[in-house]
Amino acid sequence: MEYLLHILIIAGIYIILSLSLNLIVGYTGLPALGHAAFSCVGAYVSSLLALNLGFSPWIGLIIGAFTAILLGVVIGYPCLRLKGDYLALATFGFGVIVYSIAKNWVSLTRGPMGLPGIPRFSILGFELDPLWSYLVLVSILVLITIFVLRRVVDSPFGRVLRSIREDEIASEALGKDTARYKLIVFMIGAFFAGIAGSLYAHYITFIDPSSFTVMESITILLMVIFGGMGTIHGSVVGATVLVAFPELLRFLGMPSSIEAPTRQMIYGLLLVILMIGRPQGLLGRYRFR
Amino acid sequence: MIQQLILNGLIAGSIYAVIALGFTLVYRTVKFFHFAHGIVYTGGAYLAYTFFMILHINPIISFFLSIILCALLGIAIDKSVYYPLRVKKASNLIFLLASFGVFIFLQNLIQLIYGAQILTLRTGPVREGYHIFSAVITPIQIWILAVSCGLLAILWSFVKYTKLGKAMRAVSDDPIAASLVGINPDKTILASFAIGSALAGAAGILISLETNIEPTMGFSAILKGIIASIIGGIGSIPGAVLGGFFLGIAENLGIWKIQAGWKDSIAFLILIIFLLLRPGGIFGIKTHKEQI
Repeated sequence: MEYLLHILIIAGIYIILSLSLNLIVGYTGLPALGHAAFSCVGAYVSSLLALNLGFSPWIGLIIGAFTAILLGVVIGYPCLRLKGDYLALATFGFGVIVYSIAKNWVSLTRGPMGLPGIPRFSILGFELDPLWSYLVLVSILVLITIFVLRRVVDSPFGRVLRSIREDEIASEALGKDTARYKLIVFMIGAFFAGIAGSLYAHYITFIDPSSFTVMESITILLMVIFGGMGTIHGSVVGATVLVAFPELLRFLGMPSSIEAPTRQMIYGLLLVILMIGRPQGLLGRYRFR
Repeated sequence: MIQQLILNGLIAGSIYAVIALGFTLVYRTVKFFHFAHGIVYTGGAYLAYTFFMILHINPIISFFLSIILCALLGIAIDKSVYYPLRVKKASNLIFLLASFGVFIFLQNLIQLIYGAQILTLRTGPVREGYHIFSAVITPIQIWILAVSCGLLAILWSFVKYTKLGKAMRAVSDDPIAASLVGINPDKTILASFAIGSALAGAAGILISLETNIEPTMGFSAILKGIIASIIGGIGSIPGAVLGGFFLGIAENLGIWKIQAGWKDSIAFLILIIFLLLRPGGIFGIKTHKEQI
């Protein structure tokens, strides 16, 4: 039972991550490959605030998410000029840079040793210790994310995003400032990814740079593509299935030294199969052009 | 100190140049980022390890065997993954993501077979290096430099003077016109995958003589290869070579003042600066500018 709750919590965190990436990739058509960088910043900022300055995790969550927005601007702004696989490569590069800052700035982040003993969330002095209470918290945040993103994509703003995806020059010709829209999309995506990172840090209570590699970014992208690009329920399905499915490997009695590479192999194979067979994903409407 | 850093940069740069050249050969005919090129490089190192350290085959023979198997691996990747995508006329981004998939799959396959730990390929006892201009160079490093420069020269003349090399250049310039004059584009693509992958395998073997091998080694290698190609002007053969040396030296000079762990960041910073300020590379290749 505890195990099931754990899987659900992790799935919830990945749902937030893939929803926020879907806004950038699926709705606006910007192939961003550095999403783990945002959750990395969210996780590290809120953990460091809690560990070094004794901030409450709630405040850390907010500050972490806003720092992630800042990073979203730093990454988004130079990437506005790039398209297609060059944009993918540049965001990928920012992902590597953020990862290596987390790994090499040892005096602040303790590098590969990671940060242990991160406090959990607490309400009125009671620590959220039982797993189910944490699941409730994650579920509420997932619902908020879905609600906000649904409002965003169904609004006139979201319509502009889809028009940028379909034909950027045409939407520019209609007087839309596409650069501003793209930057805002990066900021929204970064905000929610920062929240997810902070949730992860305060749940696991330990973080190290290896949780935020570029391979992690590709895994999140795979969830978005698998579920379906440009659909909200697609991301929910994609993240849940891809978190839950590899857990079956554990039931087959695989030791973790075999289980981890096997899981990655399945992800890699799935990415290839999806690209060849169904690039828009299971429930998707849009494919990369 | 600075002489040593420049020398280290030249050695690293020669490896990057070989990777970037293989990558560029493939890029020129297919026009997408063949990220899985990096796993062929890892494959080269591991195959050489298998033949030489496990099966105890003569080093020269085992290196040639590994290079041939790498060429076959490249062809297999093209046939099984890229060919179906080509038939469907998929976009560059789909090719890139599929290539990531291949990379992740094979890297973890290698990890499953050989384990995640570091392996070493030792061809002989470690010898003391020679002193040149207050810098130290070991015999192995001289070999690496010589072999990679030799490979670069062979490839250069191959593309410039042989019939197949000319066909490759023709397909890269205009595939339709090339097929009009009787060049088979599919065959040319296969040839470029075979030669490019052989180069990647050779680079993997060369680096494994100098440093340890691990399943994740191909990741940063292919990134350096791609960055070197973009710095030199994507699709340009002299550009790839120069970009490789430039990157190797820049990286090693960069760690003069800061720690070695920042090498990858320096490389990507250079890439991002180039993408924003000079997307055509050092030579300013114009033809692909509109794609950026």
